[in-house]
Amino acid sequence: MSFELNRRLAARREPLPTSATVDPVTASIIRGAMETVCFEAATHLGRAASSPIINSSNERNASIIDAHGRLAAVAIGTPHLTFVSQLTVRYGLEMFKDFDWGPGDVFLGNDPDYGGGHLPDYNVYAPVFDDSGELILIQALQAHQGDTGGKDPGGFTLEATDIFTEGLAIPCVKLLHRGEKRLDVIRMIERNNRFATFRGDLAAMISAVQLAVRRLQDVIRKWGADTVKATINAEIEQSEKRLREEVSRWKDGTYEADVWIDHDTQGTKDIKVHAACTIRGDQLTVDLTGTDDRPNLVGVWNTYGNTRSYIMVQVAAAIDPGIVKNEGLFNAVDMIVPEGCIAHPPPNKPAALGSFHPACEITEAVCIALSQVVPERATPQVYKIGMPNAVIGFDAKGQMWMDQGVDARSMDSSAVQGIDGWGSSCVGLGNLLLSEAEDLESRFPIINLSREMTTDTGGAGQWRGQPGSRNVKKVLAPTMAMAWMVSSRHPLRGLCGGEDAGGYENHFEVGTPNERRIELSALAQLPAEAVIAYQHGGGGGFGPALLRDPEAVKDDVLDEKVSLQAARDKYGVVLTGSLDDYDLAVDVAATAALREQMGSAKAA
Amino acid sequence: MGYRVGIDIGGTFTDFALLKGDEVILHKNLSTPEDRSVGVMTGLKKLAEKEGLALADFLAQCDAIVHGTTVADNTLIEMNGALTGLITTEGFRDEIEYRRGYKENIWDVRLDPPKEITPRRRRLTVPERILADGSVYKPLDEAAVREACRKLVKQKVESVAISLLFSFVNPAHEKRVAEIVAEEMPGAPISLSHQVLPRAPEYDRTSTTVVNAYVAPRVNHYLERLVERLHKAGYQKRLMVMQASGGVMTREYIEGAPIRVLASGPAGGVIGSAHVGAAKGHPNLLCVDMGGTSYDMSVVLDGAAPAEAGWNMHHRYLIGVPMVQVETLGAGGGSICRVHNGALQVGPASAGSEPGPICYGRGGVQPTITDALLVLGILEADTDFAGGSFSLTRKGVDAAFAKIGAEMGYGAEDAAFDCWRMVNANMSQAVRRTVASKGLDPKDMVMLAYGGNGPVFAAIQAEDLGIAKVLVPKASPTFSALGTLVADPAIDEERFYLSPADKVDGERLKGLWQDLEARAGRYFTDAQFANDQIKARYQLKMRYPGQNWTLAFDVRVNQSLGDLSFVDAGIGVRAVELFNERHMAEFGHVRDDEMPEITGLRLVTSVQTPSPQVSAGTSAPRAAAKAARSRRANLGRGYADTPVFRGSDLRAGSEVAGPAIIEETFTTIVVYPGWTACVDDAGDYELVRT
Repeated sequence: MSFELNRRLAARREPLPTSATVDPVTASIIRGAMETVCFEAATHLGRAASSPIINSSNERNASIIDAHGRLAAVAIGTPHLTFVSQLTVRYGLEMFKDFDWGPGDVFLGNDPDYGGGHLPDYNVYAPVFDDSGELILIQALQAHQGDTGGKDPGGFTLEATDIFTEGLAIPCVKLLHRGEKRLDVIRMIERNNRFATFRGDLAAMISAVQLAVRRLQDVIRKWGADTVKATINAEIEQSEKRLREEVSRWKDGTYEADVWIDHDTQGTKDIKVHAACTIRGDQLTVDLTGTDDRPNLVGVWNTYGNTRSYIMVQVAAAIDPGIVKNEGLFNAVDMIVPEGCIAHPPPNKPAALGSFHPACEITEAVCIALSQVVPERATPQVYKIGMPNAVIGFDAKGQMWMDQGVDARSMDSSAVQGIDGWGSSCVGLGNLLLSEAEDLESRFPIINLSREMTTDTGGAGQWRGQPGSRNVKKVLAPTMAMAWMVSSRHPLRGLCGGEDAGGYENHFEVGTPNERRIELSALAQLPAEAVIAYQHGGGGGFGPALLRDPEAVKDDVLDEKVSLQAARDKYGVVLTGSLDDYDLAVDVAATAALREQMGSAKAA
Repeated sequence: MGYRVGIDIGGTFTDFALLKGDEVILHKNLSTPEDRSVGVMTGLKKLAEKEGLALADFLAQCDAIVHGTTVADNTLIEMNGALTGLITTEGFRDEIEYRRGYKENIWDVRLDPPKEITPRRRRLTVPERILADGSVYKPLDEAAVREACRKLVKQKVESVAISLLFSFVNPAHEKRVAEIVAEEMPGAPISLSHQVLPRAPEYDRTSTTVVNAYVAPRVNHYLERLVERLHKAGYQKRLMVMQASGGVMTREYIEGAPIRVLASGPAGGVIGSAHVGAAKGHPNLLCVDMGGTSYDMSVVLDGAAPAEAGWNMHHRYLIGVPMVQVETLGAGGGSICRVHNGALQVGPASAGSEPGPICYGRGGVQPTITDALLVLGILEADTDFAGGSFSLTRKGVDAAFAKIGAEMGYGAEDAAFDCWRMVNANMSQAVRRTVASKGLDPKDMVMLAYGGNGPVFAAIQAEDLGIAKVLVPKASPTFSALGTLVADPAIDEERFYLSPADKVDGERLKGLWQDLEARAGRYFTDAQFANDQIKARYQLKMRYPGQNWTLAFDVRVNQSLGDLSFVDAGIGVRAVELFNERHMAEFGHVRDDEMPEITGLRLVTSVQTPSPQVSAGTSAPRAAAKAARSRRANLGRGYADTPVFRGSDLRAGSEVAGPAIIEETFTTIVVYPGWTACVDDAGDYELVRT
């Protein structure tokens, strides 16, 4: 629990010792087998868990770590979670002797100061030994839990100034010893959670990891431990090589970007994230020096493990998607993250909200910087939402319920060169499944009134950002609602001449004398029938709007993603006919004239 | 004793299986893509000829013609369905575009969006709202519905999907919208979400309904034309159509829900597998079908191929109706082999049949798996291939693999061998993924392989997966047609009902099952089946509170409709017991302190119809068969002189010990080292690890 520990956990690890070699084809076969094991474990958990954030939103991730703590193979989960889990395991490995690791053991860790992301991300992991008793692999399964036992339900406390406010921090604890459940420990952990269903979710995580361990033992028996070790070494080496090949094709230089967060949770304005991406031959260095480090900031602290991951998410987006995701990517990229800045906090800082911001601004800054060298793969893998509106109440039995607000919606789906923003969010979040009104309303006393896209909230550009959506819901019983707002003054940025997206806006008790816009944050008691309306930001545009195909603008107007007014004002497109009659047509001559006029006005 | 005819239309061939008493006669002719019913009639004429009958007499003696069609799939592949509009609840216009956030490749920022069936301009909303309990929160604004119709008419919309929130609890608004649409847009087909998929959540239901509306006109038009041709030619019975659920049903039923034929092709093969497996004493099967472009995997458990209604993504749209679970991998004979950034890759791109593999000699230049098989000596050049339609050529093949080898640092033969290993590994991993979500271990199953290339890889894959026995039916190349004959007429429908298991309202449960019984009864009566022929499985869908996946299981199986006496005071307690049993089997734990909830009920009705008999075992004495010749081949352990057998030389009891190659008319069976093949009384092959 110190910068020193972080340095140690993040340090580059040596290949596994083995004299065996493996041909590339056999290696990819064994890697495929390990990926399949991850898939099995994640699927098992998704089907058995009760927490909507796991079973519906799919916020869980399975990965295989090698005996040196390196990311060996990954399968399922969002990219953001994929690159986090190895540091928690590395801490566990440091305690190998002290904690008496052995076959059949299952561990749990979630501590942000011991390699973790934020407290709700429980990482359950288990070692895999070969028949001679040598540790070969660790299967890790990480999932976002509904609660962590801190001050506020869900683990997000707006005013938290330390980690203890947010809940139970677990560096590494053994849940099973040699196959036997340690009930004393498990009961204690269950007790520190507000949801009765957590018991089942923890059981499901354990059974999923045990299943994976059995499968991995089969893999090791079939191929031999040495071949498996050689495979992991070869795969990691290959990924590093492939990433370096991509980087060597990029133009040498230093590319910088500043991204701003509106404010921290207490109102300190304009929090800065600075990224400088330097390319020298095949070496990419990402340097966050210059990022805000004011010690009095509240809520905007992103753990070091997370920062590494959120940098890597955007680097992985910028390269051939076929490159295998493993430790090799980290080996190929130097990361400089000053100790004490909001991307590398000192011990005991709160961590929950940092996984939103500045985490996403780190990703965005890397994206903007790299857009100058790889524009064709530049689109930010972010969620600019401050946090979803959580709505919390109690049922007739006194049991707490929580609608975590991960509703179907459109947000932050930016364009990329040649493709308009589409769907609901960036591709990196594409295996989350968002909540549906009919599921939520069957469980909670709420009504979803609207969640449609809003015209003109997608950033204009040669390729347009997807509009954001306005999610409106009504609570039918008195409830508590929690909100944190950012990305209003500093919305998601457009790229390469594309315009910024529309910003976020949140209103509570809409249509009543108490209606108010949430400027900063809120922890409010809402009366029955209160309406909350959350305007989500859209995606950023790519390239100059005046270069957009006028026919595409016409289609956008027909689809009410762009207004007639914006077609003219932002895109310089003059349309004839009427939207109501679906007979819009591009006035080619008038459009050319208007665009020329707008172009020269811009130049002047 | 009348005839029964099974017909399966594929991309290249239309397959026929004629059941005549206990005898099965197979036939194949080319498909006719411009009007597929032409190819069907050609084949029927051929079958009539084989029976020495005029077509009219032959058809008059047909008890049933059962048909599997890919017309719905083709509509989605080609995206040439009806111009479709959607009317939905105000505030929910964009669910179909959000796709619940789902994107197919989370690492590829250049992933294209799916082609839209209903772009935003054709998605219109109307003020109205029904709540989870079925109560009306906001009445339907009928003027807005008429206005929406006006907009759809202006856009020349041909087919209308209607999907309103909670219509599956209270369909009043949806029904009223349909009435107005019928008035304002006379003649336009209407798809109602509470009929197409009566369950939550809204994206699943809306997507399914929109696709139904999109394919409906083409499917119905095609079936109408076929029925017309058949009737004119002398067929007097109902045309039965294969559904993705694995059952068949009358054209009249399909007309109301054409979405049910989507993905029905592979279902036929799985049903055929279940039948063959059960007859041979193997109720648990892993079925693999490898053709030219894809490798389809499915699981048969306890002799049945469970149809599941869940997250079925087809052609990038979610289809929520029950489907026999068939997973597809882009691995087939035509899969292209290449080196990409130093890594050897096989598939998913395929050379298809045109130009096809290099060895087809039709201009293909990229090496494929079929080409690799030629280099390995598993296939042979310059002899009959695919039933004698043409022969393979070696020209250009070796050079192509030499090029791969040069990049990988070895020779052409090693390159071909690695391609073979790679496709094998891809398929094994895909199999593991397929069985993973079912909690099964392939080790405990028997593999049943079919399709042109299935038997080439079956035994080596079985070995990789720990499977000890493989079945290869003699009819494997026309297996799907045979499957349509095996499939029973069936209706599989569900209704939504949400309640904690300890508070279940028996009367409501009864009422909902009675609705389903009435619907099923009507269609079965219309198809001339009697009530006492109908087998009815009453199922509940349950989960623990908060879980998102439900488990469905039988609460009762009856031999007719109408007896709901099992819905008594104890139903809730029994439901909990059955559910916990299922949960333990599936997930290895039970939540003692939680009361599970019922989320819906299902009625699966079916009628047993005559199926081809499959004999099991071998009555003839076992005898080692004699090889016809031999050739140099690599069956995984390096090149060696390998005996080659002719399928037509083998009889019941014939044994072939590996390494060996057996050449059948439409396929090749590879007996790998350590395996033995034996022909049983039915003429099917059983491969056993020795």
